[in-house]
Amino acid sequence: MQWLDTGWFGMLFVITMVAFILYNIHRAEKRGKDLFIRRIPGLNAIDDAIGRATEMGRPVLMVPGIGDLNAISVQAINIYAHVTKAAAQFGTPIRLCVANAAVYTVAQEVIRDVYQEQGVPEKFDTDSVRFLTDRQFAFAATVSGLIFRERVAAAFFLGEFFAESLIFAESANSIGAIQVAGSTEKSQTPFFIAACDYVLIGDEFYAASAYLTRQPLLVGSLVGQDWCKLLITASISIGFLWLSVDRTRMVNEHRAPLEAASPEVWAALTDDQKGDAESAEGWAKTDKPELIKKSDTFVHRLFNPMYNEKQLIVERQKKPAPAGEGQ
Amino acid sequence: MMELLAQVEYGPLAVKPYSTEWLIGLIVTFLLAAGAAIGLSKVPANFRRPIVSIGTFLCGLIYVLYWLWPRPVNLKPDQVPNGMVEQVGKGLSDTLPLLADVANILTSFLLGLGVYSLARIHFGKIIKRQSDRGFSWVLIVSATMISVFGFVDYILRSQDKAGKLVDRENWGFFNVGQDIMFDGLLLQMDSVMFSLIAFFILSAAYRAFRIRSVESTVMMASALVLMLSLLSPIMFQWNTMIAQMAKGMNIPNADPSIPYPGGFFHNLQISDWANWVKGNLQTPALRAVDFGILLGALAMGLRLWLGLEKGGVSV
Repeated sequence: MQWLDTGWFGMLFVITMVAFILYNIHRAEKRGKDLFIRRIPGLNAIDDAIGRATEMGRPVLMVPGIGDLNAISVQAINIYAHVTKAAAQFGTPIRLCVANAAVYTVAQEVIRDVYQEQGVPEKFDTDSVRFLTDRQFAFAATVSGLIFRERVAAAFFLGEFFAESLIFAESANSIGAIQVAGSTEKSQTPFFIAACDYVLIGDEFYAASAYLTRQPLLVGSLVGQDWCKLLITASISIGFLWLSVDRTRMVNEHRAPLEAASPEVWAALTDDQKGDAESAEGWAKTDKPELIKKSDTFVHRLFNPMYNEKQLIVERQKKPAPAGEGQ
Repeated sequence: MMELLAQVEYGPLAVKPYSTEWLIGLIVTFLLAAGAAIGLSKVPANFRRPIVSIGTFLCGLIYVLYWLWPRPVNLKPDQVPNGMVEQVGKGLSDTLPLLADVANILTSFLLGLGVYSLARIHFGKIIKRQSDRGFSWVLIVSATMISVFGFVDYILRSQDKAGKLVDRENWGFFNVGQDIMFDGLLLQMDSVMFSLIAFFILSAAYRAFRIRSVESTVMMASALVLMLSLLSPIMFQWNTMIAQMAKGMNIPNADPSIPYPGGFFHNLQISDWANWVKGNLQTPALRAVDFGILLGALAMGLRLWLGLEKGGVSV
């Protein structure tokens, strides 16, 4: 980040949010497990979906999106670890289909560990975690084909989805699978809402691991996020009020000369205030450098570059030329 | 031209490609990486997590410092940074491409693992004569063919300094084969899958807009307004009708300075309804969702960076 480009406000804001999250993680770990999280129907449905798959003897399908290995796919794998834990207890087959090789390796390790932790390492099928392809629509076709061939009983689509989201959701819907979905891509959430049984909207996706495990660390992080939301809400409220005050001052200052362009006011002005103007109307129309400009307002300075052209010119020494160059 | 060449830099740890130093560096790097891989595989399981956490923290720290630390303003390639602040800023800027290269190399190794998994599953299906093994045959044959044709095509094109292969008439067997398989088949099948979405949208929308509750009724009404606003003939007819009504309205005691006394009725234009729904309902809701998602990503990233996230194993 260039301090001169964006000012100090954005950095201070992010550091404050980081502090909120870390403080609440610390607070929750001291306090224990009794923090409240509101009910999220999509996550309550996970056990029902696995139970149904177990009764029907069909697999549970999980897709962590088509994104790279990042916070989103790690969170999706965390949720799938919980799903796998329940599936391992009942001996329900799973299919975790991955479109990214890095995500595949992480997912395979995590799922293997879950089976070992549950004391049934022999039930782990190495083919249950599959790298299919990294091409978007080839992946859509492959997962869609798998849904139809294996007639999965439950499907979880949690992660970073794009145009293929509806292909997955409609394919699973057409065979009557229970679907729990959630995408960090807000443009895909409406498709999931239209086609799936349960949908995690927005940050519910990130709340899932805290909701399912109730680990103090994760729940504390969630409370920290709520504090951050309050901070954002407060800053938006203060911001629009401040902007309104700034703009009102600007408008009033610009209007004042026009309203004051009467013979009485003109007579009361000093020679300095009159400047080059020869009449009240002329004085009202003159540019007045002391008036507030938009770029002078506090809110504008918070979010816009504050440098001037002189600050961009920095004197520096030239690098010494390498030996033998220029000969 | 000479001036431009004089400014070429290969980064802090790089040397001129294909030189002796480059070759030695390559061999040393390979040996170090192989040693590190063997060493890590021998580390006891309970020490692996701290090692990964420390590595993650250090790599993440560089990105965090890159964001926090002021970078030199307008630093030209032939200039020396002023003082410690600028030197650190430039050092961080130079380190990021190096980290990105390491990440790329690791990713390509992981891709190999992914392809191995794919091949193992499908060869297994064929060998065990499982059902649907026909699809496995198709996959293996087509993947092998497109790899071979694509590679030979790439070699031929990179050797074609005269640009003869720009003209299709000069194409050989492998160029034509690559074109048929990639442009002729793969891209077309991609398009087919994409076009399927149109039909899926129709069936999903039919189910979603069935009026079963207050929420679905509201959704149906707002969807209707938006859809009608996108249909130009309907929007034109409706808006024209409203405009004429407003113009022809005779309101008693109307303010003569207002050109159209029925101006309020302009708000009934369907494009205004749609804009109101989009501007006042949809956009704020999407921004609120954005805030939630970004905060979640921030918290998740923070937990991963500081080694607080223990991944799926703890679940």
